Amino acid sequence: MDILYSIYEVLWFALIVLTGIALIEGYFYYHFKFYDRRWFFPVALIGFPLAAVAFCRALGLAADPFRPLLWFLGSEALITLFFRHIVKGRNQLAYLLLAPAFIGLALLLVYPFIFEIYLSFHDLKLTTIMQWKNTGVLPFVGLRQYVNVFTTSPLSEVTFWALLGRTLWWTFINVFFHVTGGFALALLLNNSIRFKGFYRTLLVIPWAMPQVVAVLAMRGEFHSQYGFINIMLVKLAAAYPILASLGIGPVQWLSNYPLATCTLINIWLGIPFMMVVILGGLQSISSSYYDAADIDGASYLQKLRYITIPLIKPVLMPAVTLGTVWTFNNINVIYLVTGQSGGTEQADILVSALYKAAFTYNRYSYSAAFAIVIFAILFFISVFYLKSFDAAKEER
Amino acid sequence: MAEVRFSKVTKKFNENVILNGVDAEIRDHEFVVIVGPSGCGKTTLLRMLAGLEEITSGEIYIDNVLVNNMHPSKRQIAMVFQDYALYPHMTVAENMSFALRLRKAPKAEIDQRVTEAANILQLTKLLGRMPKQLSGGQRQRVAIGRAIVRKPKVFLFDEPLSNLDAKLREEMRVEIAKLYQRLNATIIYVTHDQVEAMTLAGRIVVMNRGIIQQVGSPIEVYRKPANLFVAGFIGSPTMNFISGRLSMADGKAVFQSEDLSIGVPGFVLHESEAVDGREVVLGVRPDDVLVGGKASEHCSEKLQAVLEVSELLGHRENLYLKIGQTRLVAMVEAFFNQAPGSAVPFCLNYTNMHFFDKITEKRIG
Repeated sequence: MDILYSIYEVLWFALIVLTGIALIEGYFYYHFKFYDRRWFFPVALIGFPLAAVAFCRALGLAADPFRPLLWFLGSEALITLFFRHIVKGRNQLAYLLLAPAFIGLALLLVYPFIFEIYLSFHDLKLTTIMQWKNTGVLPFVGLRQYVNVFTTSPLSEVTFWALLGRTLWWTFINVFFHVTGGFALALLLNNSIRFKGFYRTLLVIPWAMPQVVAVLAMRGEFHSQYGFINIMLVKLAAAYPILASLGIGPVQWLSNYPLATCTLINIWLGIPFMMVVILGGLQSISSSYYDAADIDGASYLQKLRYITIPLIKPVLMPAVTLGTVWTFNNINVIYLVTGQSGGTEQADILVSALYKAAFTYNRYSYSAAFAIVIFAILFFISVFYLKSFDAAKEER
Repeated sequence: MAEVRFSKVTKKFNENVILNGVDAEIRDHEFVVIVGPSGCGKTTLLRMLAGLEEITSGEIYIDNVLVNNMHPSKRQIAMVFQDYALYPHMTVAENMSFALRLRKAPKAEIDQRVTEAANILQLTKLLGRMPKQLSGGQRQRVAIGRAIVRKPKVFLFDEPLSNLDAKLREEMRVEIAKLYQRLNATIIYVTHDQVEAMTLAGRIVVMNRGIIQQVGSPIEVYRKPANLFVAGFIGSPTMNFISGRLSMADGKAVFQSEDLSIGVPGFVLHESEAVDGREVVLGVRPDDVLVGGKASEHCSEKLQAVLEVSELLGHRENLYLKIGQTRLVAMVEAFFNQAPGSAVPFCLNYTNMHFFDKITEKRIG
């Protein structure tokens, strides 16, 4: 019977969501459809604020209905004016179809973001959390959290600047090898070789697997005693003593080189995505360019340099931007390889340090400021990439 | 400049035979048009000459040098592609000079050659533009310019006008004709458009199903088609074909089909070919269906037809005639003032009458 109850709950939830969407759509439909009727203003200004207040009271909010009513009235007045004089019922269908997704995004992204900004100017931590719960008021601290981000360590010892440098280095190395590895594989797969589909599927698997599974499996392979990599190193050193004399032997990957281990694993995980994107780009290049270049006398490398690379740039640049943001933000690999119980700080990058600061050390406001700093960095990186992409597009 | 020779050239894709023993010779300074329906192997032949396609068997010579295994860039040819294949990220000047820059030619020479080609093609003002900023006709000229800059032995054109609209195509056709007069180069030009073939070619190579059907000057191909395919492919509107058999009466040959019977004089069909009971196909172009004309020495007996439809083209008019179950198209001067359904007397012009054997489809008279 438990399962039936769960299904009932899910259906009930779906009904609530659908009703919400229907209400939103109806609200907008009214504004789009009847903006030029005489009764448009009176009905909207009386009906919607009252309905909203009634809804809030039904939920047990708004004990004093007067102030919320004024709020709703004011915003409704602005909305009706906007629809009457600016929108004028144009593009009705497009906006009606966009509305649910847009409102969902606003609830999931905009509200938390605003709350995060609010947190970053206040002081929420273990010692103030009960005060906040009881009174709803937090001490305002101005920019102190932002100063703390740059002057104190988010973890026990490593500083923000060291983390930033490490993150940039980690991002650069990863994206560099993702692109070169993906490019090389895509070039191989773009030939008319046998079993192409089979190879392509095999190569995409690391990307298609859940990251948790892939990372934990790879972490096992880096185990100092039972991991595939150390076993291979031991066997190689035994088979070729010259290698052993050069110092090649088993390595304590996870304890001595945690960041290198994470990098190797993440490179392995990220190549398939770049390969798929670049392969798509390669296949869209008309073969007559290569014919023309053949007749013009271009060698393989010259064709690569003068035709392939310029022509895949439009698909490569957005992929590199995305890859940069994903790698910069990649907490999964680092946390899963090093972060669990008593993990090292040697491999932490900005986002994994942020996670630990917030949920291991419970410094919420500090973390909110930290997150906004990271967001700003990423924002500038993306804008820079996209600008250079636009510039490249202008060229052609 | 150079001559080109194909010797028993064959191309197979797996078991599909694309070209079946092509033999042809293109002389120095000659403008040869290879024409045929799509899928006849004409583009494959051109790409094999350019070195972009492997040769299954046979030999290709440029200037008596076997080029079968020579890299495309070493063959001293230049090709103009159907989709132009202009490098989209290079300017017009960079596109035109690409081959020379790869060859590390001196800068002064590159500039001089690009300027020269740009002058010929009126591209001087466009040298700094990107291909996407050009119109179709301009892109076509850049593609030709890229070929000229290289000073090749042979120019190859692969359906260069098929991406242009009808009006521009006519203009570019004239441009190419002028260009040929100016460059006096060896040009091999592939097209499926018989008008381009007729107007541009010094010699036409008609191909179908991987086999050369006929090689000859435009007027030869038009006046003396070697077989039914060539007769039907060249000329617009298409030649009329009537199946029938020959019979001999009083030593004179008579062509008889279900609906008509025409005496065949000796100058049309040689006596040795005129065998009693031979199955033949009579071919006559719409221009040679003489409507209303009197029977004369050059025209067959007068025949009667019914006008089904007439199409006014301006100065000419197409008449769709029906004789029993046989349908004929006639082309006459405008205006032919008769209503559909009226009776139309006509005769067939003996001077341009063609007979083909029904089984071998070869020309017999």
